[in-house]
Amino acid sequence: MRARIGVDVGGTFTDVVLSLPGGRVLVNKTSTTPRDPGEGVAAGIAAVLREAGLEGAAVEEVVHGTTVASNTILQKVGARTGLLTTRGFRDVLEIGRIRTPGMFDLSWSKPEPLVPRRWRREASERIGADGAVVEPLDEGEVREAAAFFLEEGVEAVAICFINSYSNEAHERRAAAILREAAPSLLVTASCEVLPEIKEYERTSTAVVNAYILPAMRGYLSRLEARLRELGLSAPVQVMASNGGMVGLEAARDRPVFAVGSGPAGGVAGAARLGPPLGAADLIVFDMGGTTAKAAIVEDGLPSLVTEYEFRDGISTPSRFTKGAGYMLKVPAVDIAEVGSGGGSIARVDAGGLLVVGPESAGGDPGPACYGRGNDRPTVTDANMVLGFLNPRSLAGGSLPVDPELSQRAVMRHVAAPLGLSAEEAAQGIRQVANVNMARAIRAVTVERGKDPRDLALLAIGGGGPLHAVEVARLLGIRRVLVAPAAGVFSAAGMLAAEAAHEFVEPLLRPLDDAWPSLEAARARLATAGRTALRAEGYAGEGVELRFAADLRYLGQSGGLTVPLEEGEAALRVAFERLYRETFGYAAEEEPVELVNLRLSAIGRGTARLDFGALSLDAQALAGEAGTRPVHFTRGAPAVPTRLLPRAALEEGAVEGPAILESYDTTVVIPPGCTARPGGAGCVLIELEPTDA
Amino acid sequence: MPEAPIPDPITFAVVKNAMDSIVDEVAYTVIRTARSEIVKDVMDYSAAICDAKGEMVAQAKTIAQHLGAIPEAMAAVQARWGGRLQPGDAVIMNDPYSGGMHLPDIFMFFPVFAEGEVLAWVVVICHHTDVGGRVPGSNAADSTEIFQEGLRIPPLRLYREGEMDEALEALIGLNVRVPDRVLGDLRAQYAACGVGAREIASLVRRYGAAGLRGHFVALLDYAERMARAEIKTWPRGTYRFTDHIDSDGLSEEAVRLSVAVTVRDDGTLRVDWEGSSPQVRAAINSTLSFTKSNSFLSVRCALRGDIPNNAGVFRCVEVTAPEGSVLNPVSPAPVAARALTGYRVMDTMFGALAQIVPEVIPAAGEGGNTVVVLGGRHPDNRPFIIVDMISGCWGGRPDKDGVEAITNPSQNLSNTPVEVLERQHPVRVEEYALVADSGGPGRFRGGMGLARSYRLLAEEAVMQLRADRVRFGPYGLDGGQQGGRAGNWLDGAPVPGKVTGTMRRGQLLRHHQAGGGGHGDPRARDPEAVARDVWNGKVSAEAARRDYAVVVDGRTGILDRAETARLRERERA
Repeated sequence: MRARIGVDVGGTFTDVVLSLPGGRVLVNKTSTTPRDPGEGVAAGIAAVLREAGLEGAAVEEVVHGTTVASNTILQKVGARTGLLTTRGFRDVLEIGRIRTPGMFDLSWSKPEPLVPRRWRREASERIGADGAVVEPLDEGEVREAAAFFLEEGVEAVAICFINSYSNEAHERRAAAILREAAPSLLVTASCEVLPEIKEYERTSTAVVNAYILPAMRGYLSRLEARLRELGLSAPVQVMASNGGMVGLEAARDRPVFAVGSGPAGGVAGAARLGPPLGAADLIVFDMGGTTAKAAIVEDGLPSLVTEYEFRDGISTPSRFTKGAGYMLKVPAVDIAEVGSGGGSIARVDAGGLLVVGPESAGGDPGPACYGRGNDRPTVTDANMVLGFLNPRSLAGGSLPVDPELSQRAVMRHVAAPLGLSAEEAAQGIRQVANVNMARAIRAVTVERGKDPRDLALLAIGGGGPLHAVEVARLLGIRRVLVAPAAGVFSAAGMLAAEAAHEFVEPLLRPLDDAWPSLEAARARLATAGRTALRAEGYAGEGVELRFAADLRYLGQSGGLTVPLEEGEAALRVAFERLYRETFGYAAEEEPVELVNLRLSAIGRGTARLDFGALSLDAQALAGEAGTRPVHFTRGAPAVPTRLLPRAALEEGAVEGPAILESYDTTVVIPPGCTARPGGAGCVLIELEPTDA
Repeated sequence: MPEAPIPDPITFAVVKNAMDSIVDEVAYTVIRTARSEIVKDVMDYSAAICDAKGEMVAQAKTIAQHLGAIPEAMAAVQARWGGRLQPGDAVIMNDPYSGGMHLPDIFMFFPVFAEGEVLAWVVVICHHTDVGGRVPGSNAADSTEIFQEGLRIPPLRLYREGEMDEALEALIGLNVRVPDRVLGDLRAQYAACGVGAREIASLVRRYGAAGLRGHFVALLDYAERMARAEIKTWPRGTYRFTDHIDSDGLSEEAVRLSVAVTVRDDGTLRVDWEGSSPQVRAAINSTLSFTKSNSFLSVRCALRGDIPNNAGVFRCVEVTAPEGSVLNPVSPAPVAARALTGYRVMDTMFGALAQIVPEVIPAAGEGGNTVVVLGGRHPDNRPFIIVDMISGCWGGRPDKDGVEAITNPSQNLSNTPVEVLERQHPVRVEEYALVADSGGPGRFRGGMGLARSYRLLAEEAVMQLRADRVRFGPYGLDGGQQGGRAGNWLDGAPVPGKVTGTMRRGQLLRHHQAGGGGHGDPRARDPEAVARDVWNGKVSAEAARRDYAVVVDGRTGILDRAETARLRERERA
């Protein structure tokens, strides 16, 4: 037996998915153990092994989505971190990019820098924009800094010098001196993470890496020890923000690549789900308890960004709300997030406007129907009032609910103030939540020049399949897919991920005469990529090197990432095609600049989860049968709606109105829609075209 | 005032959200497609959607300060083009005496049609890198007539049914120093307007033109209702405040801004600028549209409710300024550097509003970003222009310290990364840092000022600086002290706040932005907070003793409690 295990640590539950050769999959949910999440992980793995009747030795790989990196930042429990900068630039980290996330709010404060000003030291040195040494590194000052950091009890140090993207020599030398003079300090030089232009972004990335390094290392070694106790000696892989996985060594040295580890799993899974479905391009729509997220998969690859701002929980998909978090210039799945989840609270504001979220009742006390002390209505309560959710219990019977409490909450806080019935108010809450969620999808499609109508919507997460059809209608999307094991899809998705390491080399020159330097950079990156993969056991056929170029018109500061083509002319054509798709025009007469060459070094395994051959254990598909009245349309009476177990689909198409209940999620099939098996364990719901 | 309830609260909430989303998409398209750093990196641009009359219905999270000026600009556009535009047309204008603000800000108005009529306008305003005139950047503070400031564009049709007008394109191209950037940014404005129009058309299909018009009315009424309800809770009366601009740069005379804000029974405000200085010779005159815009904006900041960003709020605020004054100049007064006056309008308004809602308003911040313009030629003779904006800080708040290194609240500017600046232009930045002891002492300390320096690597450059708060530091509130004052130095020698001159290879220009005012008595500041500031090098041990009566070891940052208690006791006695 060669089992593989995927683990997704969430705020409330730790989901464990075990896959066996042949496609059999077992699922387990255990409580998350926030103090040391590894405890819950080990417990979940032990439980799923017991259920499968397997020994630890049968496991060949564990893929882990961890929130340790992100929680360390959010809870401000990282290392005592120092920073060494070029003289004159001690405050780059604190200055940041100046903008505020909101407007008109005079009470807003900036996030505290992760390195206090006292521990930001300067060294005399200067590299010019062209990479030339303007002033040599004063090594004595670096040694003084080392002594100072030790005296102050600093544990980790980041180094970021101005223009080090064009010449790493001073940073590398300073790192060597620090490591030699103070071996106890954990040192991260910015050029060792990703050497890209823009000093604040690079500094912030290096600082975050240094800040979370000890916590991540400690967690991973404790986890390894726990797994050994279970008899597991299999390598642990960590999900990275880009939707790939990296080995333990890489995660220990560059944990900054794993800050977005959690949400990446679902997108990685979606990327593998597309091909067996014959739908390569998907919108991944993940609705959880607090937020909803959207991401894109195109040609079987997640759409990535090269930088993102990491911040606390609720965010909006607006790209203008910068300044609220910590900038990370590392490739990450492009995820837009809105504060609309099952626990989002609905209220009527002073002007009479119905507002849903971002305030959330979370999982505890949770929606009003949980009866745990929250009496304000949430999206889940609206769904309860309308009949979409099981009125006795949720989560496969493990969570008893009281629909009367939902009714009362909606009535008191929304229906009465607006002069509506409870059903109308609940419809309103649902609609506003749907529009908010559609906005997250617009952020990753329309804002990127992509038309959501050309894509299929893949619903995952506990709430995704409950809202998917209506959200799709708002956007004119005609195909909705509900993923297999939608409620634990992030963990399942990790089992489908490939190993992926990211590299970049800045080139910053006119494309017209860039080819020789590009060739040289390509050779260097290829060596680095193969080396990283070899260390994790990938070689030969299992290695794929995906090169891409960041290009822009000369004078622009943004840019587009285009898969590498052979020759300047072909690259320019590819750039202009994408530019036109994204912005509606191209400036054919203008010079193009080659900003960076990027490499995603992919390690392919033979044992990745194949959704095409997936078989879930029957218990996972069980649900209730019968009918219940559901309010689908505003102003119309409730419609008797069939309740079916998800397994019913195996006997043929199901016409709406119907609800498929399974332990991890609820699939809503509105009147006029038909659900049929969509392949790869998905439910397919096709909609009439609309003119949205 | 409209008391009519929202006709259909659910559809209303849905449409409001959709409008917010569309206007952000417009703004996002600008930033992705623009060519210049001032738009892409500094984000000096804004986007809005207006109803057919030009009342702003939705606004992106961009430069707030631009948007209160739209009504006057829109009136000029309507006067010339009303009824004559076709789908795909776009009108541009920048003339301050036709509703504009200053010449670099080019407005684009893009009508959205439904059923053969204009239903809405998408408006995108960008600060362009250069619009000609006597100095690179077209932003000189020392011009004496608008004719020196660059190309004046009355409302003209730049796009006719999707095609750029060849004559205008050629004319603009010839009159600006960096035509590819200016025309590129204008194309970006047009592309963004098109995105907005396309999305509004999709709303029309769903809700109908009449339905959407009804929702526009409801959105504006809603914001007005929210604003009035809040203003009605404010104490009635007239509140006055005066603040100053150091000088117009051509004379030594201080420029006075005086305001009287009256809270009226009906939940509206009257803002009267009587008593402000007459218009000045140099280019810091603020057009009435810009004065109004900043007056509205300061009121918006004082309101705490979650009120939508639309023109409904403007309806509650009546603004007047005497004709011929620095806040309502008469042509051909120069206006290029009017941004400075706008910042001081905000500061003055906040001074008055602090008497009305003291629990909301901070002490004065830096007083507006400093603009540094350097223009010359690369060694290979290509021209370059740097337009760099140095932001500052916020003053101490009623319940917490000010913020350092932050956009002025009237804007939402970013900064240009040093590495990007150096990559594109022949300069080397040698310092970008917070200035110790520049935050105004107070129970809640003002934010620290920012310093930035530029060493010229080209043969020579025209250097133009527009700074203020060199003479009049940012005020403190409630016993808090002034923030540290601003300064400029060339190779270590002080130069005036507003200056146009020449810089030579190897010279170092350094600017030091003002620090924010303090809030509350510095002797009431928590000694631990003072010690923390000393530990962090934000306040020196000497200043801690002098300004706060707190004794801290300068090297270790350790607080001497006993000595502090004795010192504070002695000072009280």
